[in-house]
Amino acid sequence: MGLARSEIFAAVAEALAREFELAPQDIRPEAHLVDDLDLDSIDAIDLAVRLEEQLGVSFTEQDLKSVQTLQDVVDLIHERI
Amino acid sequence: MSASSLAPGVPPRWSQIAERGSLWGLRVSVWCYRAFGRGAATALCHAIVAYFFLTDRAGRSASRAYLRRVRATPRGRAVLDHEPGLWDSFLHYRSFALSIVDRIAIWFGRGDEFEYDLHGVDYFDRLAEEGRGAIVLGAHLGSFDALRLLAARTGTRVNVLMFTEHAHRINAVLRELSPGFEARVIRVAPGSVGAVFEVRRCVDRGEIVAILGDRVEPNDRGRTCRIRFLGGAVELPQAPFLLAQLLDCPILFMIALRQGPARYEVFAEELVPPAGASRPGRDERVRALLLDYAARLEHHCVRNPFQWFNFFDYWGEAAAESR
Repeated sequence: MGLARSEIFAAVAEALAREFELAPQDIRPEAHLVDDLDLDSIDAIDLAVRLEEQLGVSFTEQDLKSVQTLQDVVDLIHERI
Repeated sequence: MSASSLAPGVPPRWSQIAERGSLWGLRVSVWCYRAFGRGAATALCHAIVAYFFLTDRAGRSASRAYLRRVRATPRGRAVLDHEPGLWDSFLHYRSFALSIVDRIAIWFGRGDEFEYDLHGVDYFDRLAEEGRGAIVLGAHLGSFDALRLLAARTGTRVNVLMFTEHAHRINAVLRELSPGFEARVIRVAPGSVGAVFEVRRCVDRGEIVAILGDRVEPNDRGRTCRIRFLGGAVELPQAPFLLAQLLDCPILFMIALRQGPARYEVFAEELVPPAGASRPGRDERVRALLLDYAARLEHHCVRNPFQWFNFFDYWGEAAAESR
């Protein structure tokens, strides 16, 4: 059985805080990746690559196009693990 | 690492007008080459370029401003022993015409009629042997198409990253010209992750992804560094280096300079990033790589001043004056 959603969120939040130097209070499930966190396409791939390594999941192009918020990212990983 | 403060109107103007024109000119020149041969295509390219020289005042003045910068460098006076004038700008435009004819010849598969002096391509060949993909960074200096010939020697496939909406049409022209040529154009749409995935797939397959690194494209969205180049500050795109860091692949600087009829000198140099992999240190690593790239570019520019093919206000001087 895979990780719980809360554990996945914690992992994603940790990656965002460490690598992207985002303020912890901005890292909320409903945060929009582009509008709120100011991530662009290169950041999105960067995050994806890091999460792939860390959690052993893999993302497709379609995945990255479909996610809008942090919660979407967590749900996606939850589905995959 | 600021948002682009380069005259905002410059790159879009270039990409909208010049590329439409060059695609049209390309078609006619290719047709001419096919119908009447190399001599006729050379004459036609000269005529087209002469027309641009006569009608494009901004381009002429950009050419002279650039040549003056070359002359102002420590080595520049040895290359340009007089204040650049109209004639020098004409030679500059003319050298562009010669380069276009060579490009068409290469596309037509006449690459074996060219002679190449190769410098430092061992590393490139070794990557091919090991089946490792890489990003190859060029510039609008000399001919980037020579890369295709280099890659053809080792059987490596080349993908060209382009920011133009004409990419698919250029693709079609290329395919038409040389069906056997393993070259493809990857189009970068603004804000899309698709192109990055495509680059990743190419590099994973051991292919080359070629990028021209000397122009900031409209969709670079502030991912630029302000770097000193030929005595003035210019904005250069970070994207090629970010990609290389992201995909953890080598990045090479490559340039082919025309030394005479059907004769090129090719330089391939690895751009080695400073150690480190963490994201917070990435901006400094990218900046160091861009400084390295700009220094190499300047080195070759000063030695081959007439092969710089950016005929627009590269330093944003005209816009700065009118503000």
